Amino acid sequence: MKMINFCKLLVLLAAFFATPGFAESSKVLIVNSDNTVYRYETIATEFKKVLQQNAYQWTEFNLDRHANAEEELKRLIQQENPELIYSIGTKAYSLARIHAHNKKMLFSAVINWRRLDIDAGTYGVANELSSAQEISLLRYFFPTIKKIGLLYNDKFSREYVETIKKDALALGINIVTQSVNDAQEIGEALDQLLPKIDMFWIISDPIVLSGKDSVRQIFQAAEQQKKPVYAYSDVFIEHGAVLAISADIATIGRQSANLAMMMDKDKVPGGTVQVPAGSTITLNKCVLDALQLKFNQDALDSVNKIVGCAKND
Amino acid sequence: MINYLRTLLVGALVLSSSAFAKSLEPNDDLERELAYLAAERQVVVTASKMEEHVDKTIATTTVITQDDIAHIGARNLIDVLRLVPGIGITQTQFGWREIEVRGVKTVLSEKVQIMLNGHPLDHNLQNAGSAWVYDDLPVDTIKRVEVVRGPGSALYGANAFLAVINIITLNAKDLNGVQTSAGWGSFDTQQYRASWGKQFDNSAEAAVHFNFTDTDGINSPIPADSLSAKGLNSSAPGKSQLTEGRYDLEWQLGYQDFKLDGRYINKKAGTFFGLASILSDGRTQQDYNDYFLRLSRTWKIQNNFTVDTQVFHDFFSYDNTWQTAPSQFSRNGLQDTRTGGEVQANYHISDVQTLISGFSYAKEQQSNLIDQAGPDPAHLTAALPSTEERIRERWGVYVEDVWDPLKNLRLSLGARYDRYNDFGGTFNPRMGFNWEFIKNYSLKFSYGTAYRAPAFGELGLVNNPVLLGNPTLKPEEVKTFETGIIAHPVSGLTTQATYYHSAINQIISQVPVQVAISQYDNSGSVIAEGVELEMRYEFDGSLQGSYIGANHVLQHSIQLGRQLADVPRHRTNLTANWAFDNTWSSFAHVLIKDNTSRNLGDTRNDVPGYALLDLGLLGKNMFGKKVDVSFNVYNLLNKRYYDPAPASLNFIGDYEMAGRTFFGHVSLRF
Repeated sequence: MKMINFCKLLVLLAAFFATPGFAESSKVLIVNSDNTVYRYETIATEFKKVLQQNAYQWTEFNLDRHANAEEELKRLIQQENPELIYSIGTKAYSLARIHAHNKKMLFSAVINWRRLDIDAGTYGVANELSSAQEISLLRYFFPTIKKIGLLYNDKFSREYVETIKKDALALGINIVTQSVNDAQEIGEALDQLLPKIDMFWIISDPIVLSGKDSVRQIFQAAEQQKKPVYAYSDVFIEHGAVLAISADIATIGRQSANLAMMMDKDKVPGGTVQVPAGSTITLNKCVLDALQLKFNQDALDSVNKIVGCAKND
Repeated sequence: MINYLRTLLVGALVLSSSAFAKSLEPNDDLERELAYLAAERQVVVTASKMEEHVDKTIATTTVITQDDIAHIGARNLIDVLRLVPGIGITQTQFGWREIEVRGVKTVLSEKVQIMLNGHPLDHNLQNAGSAWVYDDLPVDTIKRVEVVRGPGSALYGANAFLAVINIITLNAKDLNGVQTSAGWGSFDTQQYRASWGKQFDNSAEAAVHFNFTDTDGINSPIPADSLSAKGLNSSAPGKSQLTEGRYDLEWQLGYQDFKLDGRYINKKAGTFFGLASILSDGRTQQDYNDYFLRLSRTWKIQNNFTVDTQVFHDFFSYDNTWQTAPSQFSRNGLQDTRTGGEVQANYHISDVQTLISGFSYAKEQQSNLIDQAGPDPAHLTAALPSTEERIRERWGVYVEDVWDPLKNLRLSLGARYDRYNDFGGTFNPRMGFNWEFIKNYSLKFSYGTAYRAPAFGELGLVNNPVLLGNPTLKPEEVKTFETGIIAHPVSGLTTQATYYHSAINQIISQVPVQVAISQYDNSGSVIAEGVELEMRYEFDGSLQGSYIGANHVLQHSIQLGRQLADVPRHRTNLTANWAFDNTWSSFAHVLIKDNTSRNLGDTRNDVPGYALLDLGLLGKNMFGKKVDVSFNVYNLLNKRYYDPAPASLNFIGDYEMAGRTFFGHVSLRF
């Protein structure tokens, strides 16, 4: 072999081994709770985009497409022997964890991740933003707000609500909570809660937000009692929320992918579960004016989107 | 401002002219969000599915958390149990403490089953009970203590007679690193602890705890003994000799579905007064060794069907030298072992019904007896044995169904049959319901029976000049029904009122058979009834972390038409915790105990009641959440108070308990 050919081969081999990503046998298994659900699907799509850009291999398993999903997932994990399992949603995480054994685990789109059993080697991107940051922003936007109320279900949100309370306490805000067992209790719970608070906070609790009726009930009660509503997602803005700070769904997917690659290289930064990196602040100027709320005008520059009143034709 | 105008323009919305939406029109975004929440709603994390919330159980349960223990400033398990409604703690002449439950108290506390992470600790087969080595169990490694009052034999078998105290310790996940702590206090008390826990990538996990405690004891004044009362030479007046030194090692090792756990304890102690009626001069020495080793595995057969299996080996030994007269000593020792296994099937019939059934087998053996006596504890000679070597085999089958036919109604039905090779079989059912009849108001009712197996010492005591064993003994039996209401009238407030009625029959007692000679026999009965009232209010808002609590018991325990001796009719605990901020809090506890009456024929006045005040200061999560410190003062007002001494020691009056004492504690996490 001529020296020049040898050098070419050397460069080729060096380029091959320098390619970022897992070694040939490395794979990521994406377990999706239900790919027909927009949030899960968006996160999965963005996750895969980043993997593709970085030449990673993956296999996808959607639980909604398999009648005996757990058995098939178990078999797939044995067959594929992935280095990392990425679970999207609580159902995916709960099943994958059972059969993951010593695999690296990553999750996202899980309501209140603190209720999960998290083993060593498991990382995640939270579904909820940092409650400390949310409360800080609320205090910045509405300096006179002292008491914020929220409804929650103990099974789904207890740990998250405890975190909110602790964070709020440190920031001088009083969080008043009321637990509900099912949607039928929301009306009575709102009647009890609203008179005691300055603002109502909608958290992503699957029992409190069990349907459109529940959403309607919350906004009607808040309107009757002239209480502003703060929400975790901007989908509630057009129903009457005065402010929403939403985690960006697509960013969660991309953030998860970056975390997965860091896990692969054993270079995970401190903290097992990251808060979502991207967020959008939406202000409903129409509700703000209608309720004549004291609003810190300096805070307007922090708002990403301001919504005004539309005229009736 | 340009930015503002731009965003205002971009954000012109499809809102109606009202600021709030009047109705919800079809909206893709909201529907998507609700669909996501609906998908998440399908999954209730199953890890704690069988852990019942206190509000939902049919049993009367008190849970003391690690946080509570830190606020209390507890030095050992006894300090924790003092605050539980229906439980009282008193001193014995031998050193260990008695645990009174619902108005019934015995020197050996054999009617209470103490468990560590669900494993029974009644390893002393000769005398039963667990207080021998567990009364002063260090609390730094405890995650929570669950106290279930009422009969528990339908689930736990023997000796879960009046209450079950389950101690849950920190596991690998809880520790996740190294934790150390140290405590110093009055009577030259020192406590040291080191824990390490880690979960490994290959699903292995390990947690190890080491505890060491040493104390000179409370040095209670003993004004007289039977010799000094007659003007003869003795150690009295003097002080109690309750020195204690103990160390223990606990381990929890897990790999995949396997778990190997256990705890070894060595305890050396003096005595409070002594075995006989003369005050020991410090040469009485008690030496206990206790351990258990358990290998368990959970088998997941199907999603809704799991099987828990375990094999275990328990060991208990003592080697005690007692001073029975100024120049007379007796040395007694033995080894007890219990080896067995258990298989438990857990079948989740549906989301609202779970069926548990199981089988257990154990072989118990007592051997290596030591019996010596003589005037010099260093040169004792063989004496007649005081008990017998003995083997017992037992098995049990049990079943329990927990069913929620309605969202607000839980029914529980269970039964257990145990068979012993020495006294035969015993059947114990348990049933009850918990009905949330109005939101936040639940009514509980339960009925159950339980048994206490005769201890080897009761069956086979020999060569004792005044007390004989009885190999034909049957188990003690208790039938209890209780009802209560647990309510949350306002947010943060939990209240509970419970009425109980227990009929204890076939009590194993010492029955005179000849002049000055008694024999163990099933004789007599006790009716114990009472009301337990509890409340706790947890403050919200700026006072979050603060709480006030109170519990009061009114109890009436009757034997032969008389109130049981040495048991108060009323006892009250008042607690308050004030969190100054996220770090500092102070705790106050007041214990109020009623007078206690004497036994028939004991002409001494009643033991006077008392009120004690304890105060504590706790700083948590300091220096990057790595350091906790606490300082507690017990009996702040230096109240002089007494625990009852038996009539046989009437010359000393009663046992004077500690005055004002201190305890400081530092805990570090790495």
